[in-house]
Amino acid sequence: MQKKNTIAAKLNNLLFYIALILIWQGVYYWGTAIAGLWKPYALPNPLGVVESLKKLAVTGVLFQATAYSLRRALIGFLLSILIGTVLGLVIAASDYFNRNLKPLLTGIQSLPSVCWVPFAILWFGLDESAILFVVVIGSTFSVSLAIENAIRTVPPLYIKAARTMGASHLQLYRDVIFPAALPGFLAGLKQSWSFAWRALMSGEVMSAYVGLGYTLMAGRDIADINQVTAVMLIIILVGILIDRLVFSNLEHRILKQRGLV
Amino acid sequence: MALEIRHISRTFTGSRSETLRDISLTIEDGEFICIVGPSGCGKSTLLNIIAGLDTASDGELFLNGNPITGPGSDRVVMFQEHALYPWLNVMDNVKFGMKLAGLPKEEQAARAEHYLKMVQLWDFRHYKIHEISGGMKQRTALARALCLDSPVLLMDEPFSALDKQTTNKLRSDLEHIWEETRKTILFVTHSVEEAVFLADRIVVLSDNPGCVRDVFPVDLPRPRQIDSEDFLKVRHQILSCVEREVQKFAKEEYDRG
Repeated sequence: MQKKNTIAAKLNNLLFYIALILIWQGVYYWGTAIAGLWKPYALPNPLGVVESLKKLAVTGVLFQATAYSLRRALIGFLLSILIGTVLGLVIAASDYFNRNLKPLLTGIQSLPSVCWVPFAILWFGLDESAILFVVVIGSTFSVSLAIENAIRTVPPLYIKAARTMGASHLQLYRDVIFPAALPGFLAGLKQSWSFAWRALMSGEVMSAYVGLGYTLMAGRDIADINQVTAVMLIIILVGILIDRLVFSNLEHRILKQRGLV
Repeated sequence: MALEIRHISRTFTGSRSETLRDISLTIEDGEFICIVGPSGCGKSTLLNIIAGLDTASDGELFLNGNPITGPGSDRVVMFQEHALYPWLNVMDNVKFGMKLAGLPKEEQAARAEHYLKMVQLWDFRHYKIHEISGGMKQRTALARALCLDSPVLLMDEPFSALDKQTTNKLRSDLEHIWEETRKTILFVTHSVEEAVFLADRIVVLSDNPGCVRDVFPVDLPRPRQIDSEDFLKVRHQILSCVEREVQKFAKEEYDRG
């Protein structure tokens, strides 16, 4: 019964998107060919987008761009997790840094990562490291805030119980606080990933010679609105796919193991 | 003389009212002490101070002659909620404290087996925490506490979140375990019936500030029958003492308001 329902829901979902695409194509056809409201090259249309995707796939640009972008995202995000975790532990463990440093990190995190691009270019030039810098700076503080929040929301009872059983400071962190904070941390990492992915696109749009962001801008340069749309769809798809396959998957497994879902 | 409480007071900063005033108690080795009193009288605060999780504003505490300065595995606490770790199964939760203490693996396994059998959870040792009932969770927490072999066990209303049947079962289980292990137990409860069933002595705290209103020795033979005449007589005696406190408090509230 449960299974039937999910299949029905999936089918429902699929039908909704098929309808949306049909309407999109219909509006395009009506507006360009019948009513003459727009020039055909001014609006993307589903058939054109598919055509563009085919072209990008056949020439290999699509895979190369996706591979480059993913590699940058991966390296940048791993660096963010490393640096962000250290900073996060500092603001979680010390009241002094929590009062003083955390507001600064929150402030920097609220800055759209595209604002870091000029800074990155001044420091690194039009270079790989400039893009990596934007990814790292765009997601590190989000990782820190995630780990801080996860640690601060560990139930006090867990800590009390361990202390009455004689836990040392180190044991408290290793055996209670870290495992207890893990689900919250993973939930936070999901958000940090989306920050990293967006920051990467900001960087690539401004300064890359290959990658999804670059292909997006290449589409603009040749005034191919279908290619622009196709790449945008790929960017959305890759972002969601990584979220689902990696973070949501991990989070779900841990929550299930603890009986929380 | 296992546990000595000398002139303990606890004032919370920010509010001028005292939670505890001048509490003195001497608890003998192997004694089962229950602390009862109106809600909010500071029973749990007193327990937390003995556990070392809270510090007294005034007064001293000694365990076997040594001053108590912080939490330690010689005074394991069982809380109202089970405080088990959901990322560990029943067995690993029971071993948790022994792992902290760095006991040898064989010793951990042997003790875990012994106490899991004592609380009748051996068959459930591989279960996850969310897969067992509330009563089983508290029994797991009890086994975890017993494994540490602490001379003193502090219990903060450990059965109050459970249904009546489970509570009754756990009470008599606890009594058996206490008779077997002869630990010193300090048991906070709001149930006078529970106190009369379990305690060698019952300490009644008064409210606002919390101080020792009275101490009642309970000389009934064990296991006690909660519907026997003697039991009801003791229960009534203590209940009226507690109720006087509740009424006094209610009157003060009313007069103030």
